[in-house]
Amino acid sequence: MSFLSTLYSAYAEIFLLVMVSVILIADLFTAGRTKTVTYLLVQVTLLGCSLITVATHRDGIDHLFHHMFVDDLMSDVLKLLSYMAISMMLVYSRSYLLARGLFSGEFLALVLFSLLGMMVMISASNFITLYLGLELLSLSLYAIVALQRDSAIATEAAMKYFILGALASGLLLYGMSMLYGATGTLDVNAVSSAIQHGVPNKALLVFGLVFVVAGLAFKLGVVPFHMWVPDVYHGAPTAMTMLIGTAPKLAAFAFVMRILVEALQPLMVHWSGMLAILAVLSMALGNISAIAQTNLKRMFAYSTIAHMGFLLVGVLSGSNEGYGSAMFYAVVYVIMSLGGFGMILLMSREGFEADKLSDFKGLNQRSPWLAFMMLLLMFSMAGVPPTVGFYAKFAVLNAAVQAGHIPLVILAVLFSLIGAFYYLRIVKLMYFDAPESHERIYMQPDSSLLISLNGLGVLILGILPGTLMSVCAVSVQQSLLLPH
Amino acid sequence: MMTIETIVFYLFAALSVFAGLRVITARNPVHAALFLVLAFFSMAGIWLLLEAEFLAITLVLVYVGAVMVLFLFVVMMLDVDLVQLREGFWRWFPIGALLAAVMVGEMIWVLGNRQTAETGAEVIKHAADYSNTKELGRLIYTDYVYPFELAAVLLLVAIVAAIALTLRQRRTAKRQDVAQQVAVKRNDRVRLVSMPASARVSTQAQPDEAAASDQQKH
Amino acid sequence: MSHMQNLYLLVPLAPLLGAIAAGLFGNILGRKWSHRITIALVAVSFAASVAIFKDVMAGHQFNGTVYKWMTSGDASFEVGFLIDRLTVMMMLVVTFVSLMVHIYTIGYMEEDPGYQRFFSYISLFTFSMLMLVMANNFMQLFFGWEAVGLVSYLLIGFWFKRETAIYANLKAFLVNRVGDFGFLLGIALILMVFGTLDYAAVFANAGRYVNDFAPIPGVSWNLITAICILLFIGAMGKSAQFPLHVWLPDSMEGPTPISALIHAATMVTAGIFMVARMSPLFELSETALSFVMIIGAITALFMGFLGIIQNDIKRVVAYSTLSQLGYMTVALGASAYSVAVFHLMTHAFFKALLFLAAGSVIMAMHHDQDIRNMGGLRKYMPITWITSLIGSLALIGTPFFSGFYSKDSIIEAVEYSHLPVSGIAYAAVLAGVFVTAFYSFRMYFLVFHGEERFGKDHHDHQGDHDDEEVASDHHHGLAPGQKPHESPWVVTVPLILLAVPSVLIGLVAIEPMLFGNYFLDAIYVGENHRVLDEMHEEFHGAIAMALHSFISLPFMFALAGVVSAWYFYMKKPSIPAAIKQRFTGVYTLLDNKYYFDIFNDWFFAGGARGTSRFLWKFGDVHLIDGVMVNGTAKLVGRFSGVLRKAQTGYVYHYAFAMITGVFVLLTVRTWFE
Repeated sequence: MSFLSTLYSAYAEIFLLVMVSVILIADLFTAGRTKTVTYLLVQVTLLGCSLITVATHRDGIDHLFHHMFVDDLMSDVLKLLSYMAISMMLVYSRSYLLARGLFSGEFLALVLFSLLGMMVMISASNFITLYLGLELLSLSLYAIVALQRDSAIATEAAMKYFILGALASGLLLYGMSMLYGATGTLDVNAVSSAIQHGVPNKALLVFGLVFVVAGLAFKLGVVPFHMWVPDVYHGAPTAMTMLIGTAPKLAAFAFVMRILVEALQPLMVHWSGMLAILAVLSMALGNISAIAQTNLKRMFAYSTIAHMGFLLVGVLSGSNEGYGSAMFYAVVYVIMSLGGFGMILLMSREGFEADKLSDFKGLNQRSPWLAFMMLLLMFSMAGVPPTVGFYAKFAVLNAAVQAGHIPLVILAVLFSLIGAFYYLRIVKLMYFDAPESHERIYMQPDSSLLISLNGLGVLILGILPGTLMSVCAVSVQQSLLLPH
Repeated sequence: MMTIETIVFYLFAALSVFAGLRVITARNPVHAALFLVLAFFSMAGIWLLLEAEFLAITLVLVYVGAVMVLFLFVVMMLDVDLVQLREGFWRWFPIGALLAAVMVGEMIWVLGNRQTAETGAEVIKHAADYSNTKELGRLIYTDYVYPFELAAVLLLVAIVAAIALTLRQRRTAKRQDVAQQVAVKRNDRVRLVSMPASARVSTQAQPDEAAASDQQKH
Repeated sequence: MSHMQNLYLLVPLAPLLGAIAAGLFGNILGRKWSHRITIALVAVSFAASVAIFKDVMAGHQFNGTVYKWMTSGDASFEVGFLIDRLTVMMMLVVTFVSLMVHIYTIGYMEEDPGYQRFFSYISLFTFSMLMLVMANNFMQLFFGWEAVGLVSYLLIGFWFKRETAIYANLKAFLVNRVGDFGFLLGIALILMVFGTLDYAAVFANAGRYVNDFAPIPGVSWNLITAICILLFIGAMGKSAQFPLHVWLPDSMEGPTPISALIHAATMVTAGIFMVARMSPLFELSETALSFVMIIGAITALFMGFLGIIQNDIKRVVAYSTLSQLGYMTVALGASAYSVAVFHLMTHAFFKALLFLAAGSVIMAMHHDQDIRNMGGLRKYMPITWITSLIGSLALIGTPFFSGFYSKDSIIEAVEYSHLPVSGIAYAAVLAGVFVTAFYSFRMYFLVFHGEERFGKDHHDHQGDHDDEEVASDHHHGLAPGQKPHESPWVVTVPLILLAVPSVLIGLVAIEPMLFGNYFLDAIYVGENHRVLDEMHEEFHGAIAMALHSFISLPFMFALAGVVSAWYFYMKKPSIPAAIKQRFTGVYTLLDNKYYFDIFNDWFFAGGARGTSRFLWKFGDVHLIDGVMVNGTAKLVGRFSGVLRKAQTGYVYHYAFAMITGVFVLLTVRTWFE
């Protein structure tokens, strides 16, 4: 057995790293402002990663690098979805970034680095790799947000993101070191079994857990660790916001699964209570604050906070159904966000950001199809059947009811109802208000096709959610090796 | 039981807490940076106590020797106006201090109570000839090769990010291009113009007039 | 087996694909390609149905899940197919009639601007109907049930610029809502009691609950009876049974092809199909069966009377549909499910034929639908004439025609039934034969025989010009001197193709379907309801049955009906007018359709409006809007504004919030453990 073949399960990561290096060099030798060659290389890389991930899939759980790296069904599924999200994000944002001179080789390389960070997080089975993946992702994102150097607001957003991110990393590391102190290991499975066998100092464990949860909460952007979300979403160029708001949520979900479920499942009574507090606060603050927003990106930021709170409801149910539904929710959220931000990107043009609510007034008169797609996306975010958003919420609530969290479910439904208001307000603006401008909406064929697929996908997945749902349920069940 | 090690530990610990506090309270930014250096030193001392000699020395070499010196340079060159930065610091200080105090109290209460005086997993005792450096070297390229490689990628990202954020190709800036300078040909710079011996008045009239008017202005 | 499963999937999905293609890409595809694609896909669906039919006849059946839609608690909702002989027969009928109607539409809708939309709708309808009949669980049945209702709603209001069409589709929608409410309650009751929606599981366990009471507080209804009657209320809405029949005549506002497909051949028979499918449940409750029978008998007779005085060609056929549905329902009540389904099948063919023929006449008359303005068309449109005659003969139950076998069997089954109400029902269906024959041939004679009344300058615009586009330049009725002419081949070919089964299908199918073992276990008949066995003793082959019938009571009634129609409208046209004069009371009663519409308008619509107004004024405006909605909205808005201020933009505030968060978590964890 050659050395390389022992790395079988990590071929996708290795391929990606090699390709980023190739792209970094190749970019130097490709002329032209449009960066077509680099862009195509990136898309080819993503495609290649998908193929490799599919090809190297094996049943069961596979550990690598001295138990630092894990390859299971959940990681493969999440990775594939991340490639898809990144690829879609690039298609949506290409012309937007070109018009603003931000579509550089460095940007593309950083995007791929952030993807690598997500993959490391998704496949981590050791606190060190989890942390390194997180830092790889975060560092790339900080830089990406700051790329628009001429924009004061973007720089400010990057700065806030960086400082608060560093603080969160500190909290997370502190928590991890406490866990290490209590259990004497950094391996997620070993931590779990150490706790099960009984540790001398339980207080230390719970103490560490608090800080770990705080660090996770920052990454997910839940209240009260959410303050960076609106400012960064608003300040960053829309394409960067889209990047932050989509694929990393999948990685964050994996992160939560690896730490809270795989490593700290025995402490579930402790963390589910904490998550419940965070979830309720997030759903309340996210949905209520979103109403007062006039900027669409900021509104999406608050809606993200609320959605992440909802996702936590699934996680804290602590059952296979709960984790499966939370994963489903994360995937659905990513699909919906891609569409939502994609819509802003499509409507923007050189020197004009379509990120105000009023920009969507009378969209139906300007482009009925786009308005319909936006309607589907908004319905889905609000959780109106038959869109997939409804089913995602339903699955999460169902799991929570089975776990006996009835008051939580009632609150979640109440806040969702409040949340429906601001989503439906956009529908109202699009269909019942007069447009403020009659400027033609110019769309690239690839992104207009993509938005149609995205919008209809939300509908079709809502009508036929079974396949995706069972993929999520099965991958969680197989990967976390939980009893039924 | 107070051993000498415990005394040294608390000494260094107190020193690092003090230094940390002073970093944020010092009025002069250079002083703040120097207190940071002190904090690093005291941490290095604690690491020495933990038999992590290599890490302790690296901390001093890298952070104190390189990073902090660079940092000091930047602070001195930028002339940071701390007074402006600190605006509102003392206004919010009571609340912050209160929260910090409550946090500290709570942490002490949680970690320092009851039967949990001796904490955590068991500490591994090493033989006298145990070399921390050697062990570190062995582990980092075997068990921890994956995190090690990841750290390398992280550095690469940092480089790419730093370049992407700072490299600015100004169109107006005048720069030397050595390759262009070397590759230059005589014909590019010198143009021989054959002038007829006697100029015709009709073709030369306008420049002459312009020159004349120029002279009049002077 | 999986090979067959793919085929099962193909049957409903092909029309769905067609609907999507014509609906979403109709403008790109253009008219020609829209109809080509949809027709080809429906043809595929029909071919697949034929293949499945052969497979089922070879003894293969299927009952399984195709797609698991969702799970909620213990109940799971699935898409599954139950392919047995009942299903496959319905599939054949639906796809065949649908195919004919698709082809016919090319000619009928030629000038309509909504051409592609129409094709999309009828393909969508075909899909929905197939989902309904192929279902193996109540969930999917309900889906199909609602989907066909939706498409029906869309199609009745196809010419949505016309007031009457909008009124008609609203009416259809609301009346069906009443039925669907009962249906949904029935399904809910099943889910509650049985814990599953799967047919097989429900049927298998139904026997255990025969003596149970329905879990409805305050009443002591028998459980099975309650379920059956609730389900049947759904059938009453969909199959337009008295008193929920009021929507069907008005549904004639839709284009004629859909009147043929939806409101005659397929959708309205969904209720009949459903009850036949539920035979294991209905067999357990004699009360429910009696209820079914009496409703059917009332519909069969009284709706027939209304057909006599209608002057709109489509409405005559519509009332005859109501009456025939009543016949099927009576058969269900008599536990002769196979006879009902048999009549359903023959009726699908000859009624679709009659509708399409009526459509052909309407086209020839340039969208004038008043039979008083027709006459003598036989000369001008020979194919339409012959096929109409065949359809009418089949409808009235002329021996050897398909309608004869099914209808006579129903009458016989009722005669043998032991239910307490069967005596009344027998009288009703027997009288119904006369009525049917009378109005059918009244229409036939008025349209195809006698003097030519068209082309006169009669344009008083009083009749129901139903099938007319709103466009003002689209004239209707023939201009003076203009002569009608035969319709194009796309119209006549479906007529001929439908005429063939209208004549033959009864002769061929009666023996296997009623007395042979065609349905196997698809239909269950209780021990003491075996009327068919008694009929079987009297049955000596299809030909013998027809020959024997010439001296039977129903034949005499039918003959009398035809002769009197001929006498009244051909020989002495003054008689009807005289009768109308003499019996004004009866005429007015019939003309107002037993005052059902007026009563509904006054009681239900008016009552609902009154109640709504009260609720709106008091409940909504004051209580909900004033206090709850606006109150909460204001509160939330104010709160939202406050929260917005918390987002100060200062990093240290944010960091402070984070540390506070850690503090809260820590406190909660350590102090409240």
